[in-house]
Amino acid sequence: MENKIMQEQIIGEGVGFERIRRITGYLVGTLDRFNNAKRAEEHDRVKHDVAASCSLEEHTA
Amino acid sequence: MIEQIVKRDGRKVPFEIEKIAAAIFGAAQASGGQDRQMARELAEQVKEVLEATAGDQTPTVEQIQDTVEKVLIESGHARTAKKYILYRNERTRVREMNTRLMKVYEDLTFQSSLENDVKRENANIDGDTAMGTMLKYGSEGSKQFYEMFILDPKHAKAHREGDIHIHDLDFLTLTTTCCQIDLLKLFKDGFSTGHGFLREPNDIRSYSALACIAIQSNQNDQHGGQSVPNFDYSMAPGVRKTFRKRYQDDLAKALEVFAEDEDNEVDAKALTERVERQTGKWACLAGDNGYDEAMAEALSETLDPQAVQRCLRFARKYADKETRQATYQAMEALVHNLNTMHSRAGAQIPFSSLNYGTDTSPEGRLAMEQLLLATEAGLGNGETPIFPIHIFKVKEGVNYNEGDPNYDLFKLACRVSAKRMFPNFSFLDAPFNKQFYKPGHPETECAYMGCRTRVIANQYDPSREIVTGRGNLSFTSINLPRIALRSHGDIDWFFEDLDRKIDLVVGQLLDRYRIQAAKKVRNYPFLMGEGVWIDSDKLGPDDTVGEVLKHGTLTMGFIGLAETLKALIGKHHGESDEAQNLGLEIVSHMRQRMDQEAEKHGLNFSLIATPAEGLSGRFVKIDRERFGTIEGVTDRDYYTNSFHVPVYYPIGAFEKIAREAPYHEMTNGGHISYIELDGDPTQNLEAFETVVRAMKEAGIGYGAINHPIDRDPVCGYTGIIGETCPRCGRHEGEGVPLSKLQKLGLYRDLNSTTIGYHGDPAEEADRRPNTLTIVKDQERK
Repeated sequence: MENKIMQEQIIGEGVGFERIRRITGYLVGTLDRFNNAKRAEEHDRVKHDVAASCSLEEHTA
Repeated sequence: MIEQIVKRDGRKVPFEIEKIAAAIFGAAQASGGQDRQMARELAEQVKEVLEATAGDQTPTVEQIQDTVEKVLIESGHARTAKKYILYRNERTRVREMNTRLMKVYEDLTFQSSLENDVKRENANIDGDTAMGTMLKYGSEGSKQFYEMFILDPKHAKAHREGDIHIHDLDFLTLTTTCCQIDLLKLFKDGFSTGHGFLREPNDIRSYSALACIAIQSNQNDQHGGQSVPNFDYSMAPGVRKTFRKRYQDDLAKALEVFAEDEDNEVDAKALTERVERQTGKWACLAGDNGYDEAMAEALSETLDPQAVQRCLRFARKYADKETRQATYQAMEALVHNLNTMHSRAGAQIPFSSLNYGTDTSPEGRLAMEQLLLATEAGLGNGETPIFPIHIFKVKEGVNYNEGDPNYDLFKLACRVSAKRMFPNFSFLDAPFNKQFYKPGHPETECAYMGCRTRVIANQYDPSREIVTGRGNLSFTSINLPRIALRSHGDIDWFFEDLDRKIDLVVGQLLDRYRIQAAKKVRNYPFLMGEGVWIDSDKLGPDDTVGEVLKHGTLTMGFIGLAETLKALIGKHHGESDEAQNLGLEIVSHMRQRMDQEAEKHGLNFSLIATPAEGLSGRFVKIDRERFGTIEGVTDRDYYTNSFHVPVYYPIGAFEKIAREAPYHEMTNGGHISYIELDGDPTQNLEAFETVVRAMKEAGIGYGAINHPIDRDPVCGYTGIIGETCPRCGRHEGEGVPLSKLQKLGLYRDLNSTTIGYHGDPAEEADRRPNTLTIVKDQERK
């Protein structure tokens, strides 16, 4: 049993997740490439609710 | 007696009184003096003073220069002294810059991009590669050269101190920003890349391959991006030619099978030529132009009716199938190529954008459909393609409403964008875009560079208000929050100072245009040499490009409207109507000034909502040092992009759209609005489409929807990943037992160089639906 665990191969150590984000119009495959300011900006982004109480007509009239 | 002096680097060199005399004479000349003898006498005085003060010690260069200043002032040569001091300061600045440049080079050389922000100034460039670093050496060196020797000192100072930002300064004397390529014009009769000649393409695969080569070649002549403004119209002839060829080939096969024709290939060719001559038509995808009927008649001369029908049915069935396959493969290859073909010394891939959506021909529609499907499928391991940027042109009567001929493609575009973040959406019905639109003239459909740049109006030549062959020449942005901080809430002063900065930017853009205008066609072998830029085909290799460049835009940008409003009245335009009104006033003032300059100079001055990447952190850093940390203004590491509502501010999607839409009309040089959606929008396409439609109805010109696309390269899961991967359960950096991956059916090839992942059978099922709901009355709308 112990031997079996010894042989068990572990895949992916040290491999990060890819997080594709948009940066000034184009996509970047990983946040590693972002400059410091853009990293801070990406970190601060909040989501925009589509179910906001305001109705569409109010703003497109 | 002084025999030696100590130089700045510590070396000792012989003392030469002539050098002091020459420096004094130089300063005297600069203030109108001409007396060489006087300079010589003053130098002697300097020597005497030095001998009296230095004693046995060898004097340093600094000591000598101090003494020169002292002697000049004390002997009453005030004006010469002033010039001498100015000269000395300038030399000091140059020396310091040289030292600074060497320090930058040292960091570029010995730090990785993780440690070095300069290497990450542009996320599209891999600063860790040999060519990427070489590019940065060139870029940093040329910036300092221009600052010292080319720029007007007042522009250099304003740039250095962060009042304005001259974008792509490293290319100041070299080239222009971007271009909207007319592929059809380029392909006609073939073109040369400078390294070899390519014939006019005759198959959709060649069309797509050559499109990539054109983008790549043109990218090497410019510092910005490359856009195809009408990709659908550009690919349609390729599909048409492919179908024609396949139809003939398949007819040949049919003749052998159904008519036992041994000479089938020759006969099919002869028949095709004959019918094409008779009808003036080609076999076409839709089969509605009378060609098939004419072919039936021709075949009837030798075949019985049943064989005729069989041959035609066979030819059409397989030509159709093969054309679709070929188009898919062509579009798949294009997406792969544009993510792998290198440009600019291999440091990056071309910054490519494709606009499409309005060609209603079956061939154009097929090209779009297959491009979207190839993008949806992703790259080799299912990864999201980073390029090209897709821009789907939304137009009422063409693709916006049910019943419109390309409505199905609009729906497909929404579906693909919900998964891959592309396409973005441009809106041809926005009044400022619609004014140029002429049905049947794709070159009048407003297009966008992926980044947001927009070029269509033409002050220089109002008869050429078209997108093809034109682009931006250069742009410079204003630090709006700085003006607001310095105004201390005095709005009148704010506008006065804004005008001063606009004057500065206009002068700088014109200076840069003059440098660009003096360049020759041979400086741009593809852009100008192959006639990609409008009217450059009328020029010879040694002609200057100044006149044809007048079709391009000279553009002023701005950053941080939100922080500006915070500094002026304590609120930004996302949170207050008063701020919104003031924001509109500021931006419309900038636009008016650009319109006035355009009229005055006969050049296309325009206003852009700056796409700040390198700039996003630069201004605020300087301003924080100067003004301290001010809440809502300098308390973050970035200024908000152009007119955007701050990314950190909680606001509903429709409210954000409504707040930002009016600025689109004012920023004629380019604009974009983003909505950030939560969760996985592929699970709620209705909500996704509602947002796109809201943008259109609000008068937005160009918009995009962001949503997180995460991917675990170990198990291949694509979707949203928090702390742990929802499929294989690992944390970032953690390993997973092989047996677990095998149980998931994911790890098939142990010897593969790629990690684990080979296709993703489970992907769709694993995706988590988002939490979006749509308010009922919006649904009706």
